[in-house]
Amino acid sequence: MRRKSRVGLLASTLALVASTCVMGMPAIAGASGQVPLNLDNEQGELWPCAFTPFNGFDAMFSVGTIYETLDFVNALQNSKVTPWLATSYAWSNSNKTLTFTIRSGVKWTDGTPFSAADVAYTFNLLKKYPALDLNAVWSVLSSVKQSGANKVVFNFSTSAVPYFYYVADQVPIVPQHIWSKIKNPVTDPIAKPVGTGGYELSSCTPQNIKWTANPHYWQAGLPVVKTLNMPAFLSNNSANEYLAQGFSAYGAQFIPNIKSYFVAKKAGNGYWFPPVANVSLFPNLKSGPTADVAVREAISYGINRAAISQKGEYGYEPPASQTGVVAPTFKTWSSSSAMALAGNSYNPAKAKSVLVADGYKMGSDGFFSKNGKELDLTVVTNGGYSDWVASMQVVSQELAKVGIKVTVNGAAASNFTTDVLNGNFQLAYDVETGGPSPFYEMRQWLYSKNSAAIGKPAPSNWERFSSPAVDALLNQYGSTTSATAQHTIINKLQTIMVQQLPVIPVLEEVDWFQYNSNEYSGFPSATNPYAQPGLYNVPDWGVVVLHLKPKK
Amino acid sequence: MRFLARRLGFLLIALWAAMTVNFLIPRLMPGNPAEAMMGRLRGHINPASLKALEVAFGINTHQSLISSYFQYLNNCVHLNFGISLLDFPEPVSHVISQALPWSLGLVGVSTILGFLIGTMLGAVAAWRRGGALDSVLPPVFIVISAFPYFFLGLLFIWFFGLTLGWFPILGGYTETVTPSLTFGFIGNILDHSILPAFTILITSIGGWILTMRNNMITVVAEDYVKMGRAKGLKPRRILWQYAGRNALLPNLTGFAMSLGFVISGAILVEYVFNYPGLGFLLLQAVENEDYPLMQALFLLITVAVLVAIFIADIATALLDPRTRTTS
Repeated sequence: MRRKSRVGLLASTLALVASTCVMGMPAIAGASGQVPLNLDNEQGELWPCAFTPFNGFDAMFSVGTIYETLDFVNALQNSKVTPWLATSYAWSNSNKTLTFTIRSGVKWTDGTPFSAADVAYTFNLLKKYPALDLNAVWSVLSSVKQSGANKVVFNFSTSAVPYFYYVADQVPIVPQHIWSKIKNPVTDPIAKPVGTGGYELSSCTPQNIKWTANPHYWQAGLPVVKTLNMPAFLSNNSANEYLAQGFSAYGAQFIPNIKSYFVAKKAGNGYWFPPVANVSLFPNLKSGPTADVAVREAISYGINRAAISQKGEYGYEPPASQTGVVAPTFKTWSSSSAMALAGNSYNPAKAKSVLVADGYKMGSDGFFSKNGKELDLTVVTNGGYSDWVASMQVVSQELAKVGIKVTVNGAAASNFTTDVLNGNFQLAYDVETGGPSPFYEMRQWLYSKNSAAIGKPAPSNWERFSSPAVDALLNQYGSTTSATAQHTIINKLQTIMVQQLPVIPVLEEVDWFQYNSNEYSGFPSATNPYAQPGLYNVPDWGVVVLHLKPKK
Repeated sequence: MRFLARRLGFLLIALWAAMTVNFLIPRLMPGNPAEAMMGRLRGHINPASLKALEVAFGINTHQSLISSYFQYLNNCVHLNFGISLLDFPEPVSHVISQALPWSLGLVGVSTILGFLIGTMLGAVAAWRRGGALDSVLPPVFIVISAFPYFFLGLLFIWFFGLTLGWFPILGGYTETVTPSLTFGFIGNILDHSILPAFTILITSIGGWILTMRNNMITVVAEDYVKMGRAKGLKPRRILWQYAGRNALLPNLTGFAMSLGFVISGAILVEYVFNYPGLGFLLLQAVENEDYPLMQALFLLITVAVLVAIFIADIATALLDPRTRTTS
């Protein structure tokens, strides 16, 4: 596992010092005699060493490993709930009250017992500091109170069943006895995080974060892997090379030509890219040709999603469906009637006929026009993602064949985000975050309250879709725990996706995941998808490392 | 004394102008840090986080540009640079202090070495004009300096790192080792610095060779050099004490400026070798609209360059009396 380290000819002057030093280097194996697990997670920057779990970026270094959540909700197994810091939960009061029973016998890593008071404290901290409330749970909560010794009662201002995921799985619980002494929890860096999780922070430098196993972890016997390292990488190249050279057995990388570059390099190397959301074309619904549903329909019929997947993404990201339901992850939610209406069918002839029926006329240059205006669209995408730019170039070629002119504009990342959020685009190629069922992505796409006027940043619903009927469906979903009722609503939403095409899903967003199964067993897989494998998925990757066992 | 006061006055005015530009330019960029953060974490963060981020980063606080300008100047004077938004909530000073030693060590040492070696080679090449050294060195190094940093870097990684396995391919030290003040760790750092340093050295050396050689050729034709020869001084003494010293003068300012720019790091070298330093940090700060970090880094670079030029001016004045009278 260790990289070769030898001083060469070029450094003859330094050779004396350096060679003695290199020989004197301590062996990398930890005190336990076990080789540490190196995690390969390129984020294009060095690590901040600020372990605030309520920060969108820093969360990936502590949530799941150091700090834990009330439950673990698995997006890959149809929102399956695994009790974690809470042993059970119950909805009451027509789904406006959620009561958690808190686990006993859990200790913070400084030895103080964990209790229901810590849970109530954490949620009220988010109320006091909206800057920490990343999931906006207080947009629906009205109060969080401890009840008795081991219960915490959450009161919602409205029925908020889908918020269970954010409350139970996305909010890390922090210790009251430490956080109540922090002067400003928003801006004070947390250098020594204390949590209940399987790992403790051992050391952090901008180049590497090291975790060691919590010897008093409440899940007896876990974690088996005693030491974790996460080196920082500035470029995808460096991180991919690190993985390909065998320095890491668990990676979360986009790797071009993964079979020859990575899989063939070492026995046991493998990968699995589970789809979790859609990378979609967001048409501007407020202005320009894409406000016309016929144009959106023509685009959806005119793009060969399978070809885009192969040419733009090496086939890593499967073709998406116009219904908006990600398969195979959420296949039980897929509506056969919506699929029958359109699905992800590729039909260039239909694309043309839809435009003709809408009054478009084919010009002599092979492009459609209406009222003297040629159908000429610009699609903005993140110029920093070469795969997205490549995919859009394929889209442009595909649509040219059906008479729609598309220009690809790969903007700088921050300009791109600003344009998308502010509705400053005709077509935008981007991805939503999704959640543990298709509902979450659909709500992000379609709920009118998520949107904003053109020129104002909209957190989601970038295309500016607005339909009272859809809002009512989404609210209705939030008030029921019945699976049948939820499925009926999602079926209706799929039909709307197919008929109105507010968003045009192109490919399925996947979690990037590489492993070496000869060095460790227990990685999640297509047959046992017990957690999302990406090293940026929280709290999921903390759950993954608890499952791993070294093989020698 | 008047000369010194004038240079000092220039330094202060340049500093103020730079600080003002430094304040204005980031604010003319489209978007804001919260939107940039949403973009960076796209797909892994609840879209509802936008509000929380805006609150955390203090966006839309409706402070007027003028009042934030004076607050900024005041903070700069007190070296209070605030909190980095990229590495939120780490203080900017901490983020910079983590990266600064690496830039100083790698880029600083290789810049000084490049200047010393390049100048000496250039002097010798001009002294033996038309000799073997003169006909080989300048063209070779000019070709090499035309290579981009990252191309040479990747080539070296592939050849010396992967094929021969002589050097580590990435990082400032073996990333999984805990830093400590031991010989082992220092050796580890040196081992990791050789490839990137060598890349910087051989791409920067060509310029110094060429300018020094050209300066020398003019100086060698001067009467006082002939005089020295006529007096029968040792060639070595004429080369370094008479000709070299004078030929060096025009290069001093260039050297001072490149020393100043050491602070700005070497973005491509850092990127290719995954080396911690200020260059990539600056790029990151700009991409993520991290105003506090950007401002502190630009200020640092400006101060370093201005101070280096100031020192070079003084040094030139000391070495060459003519500059004092003409100014």
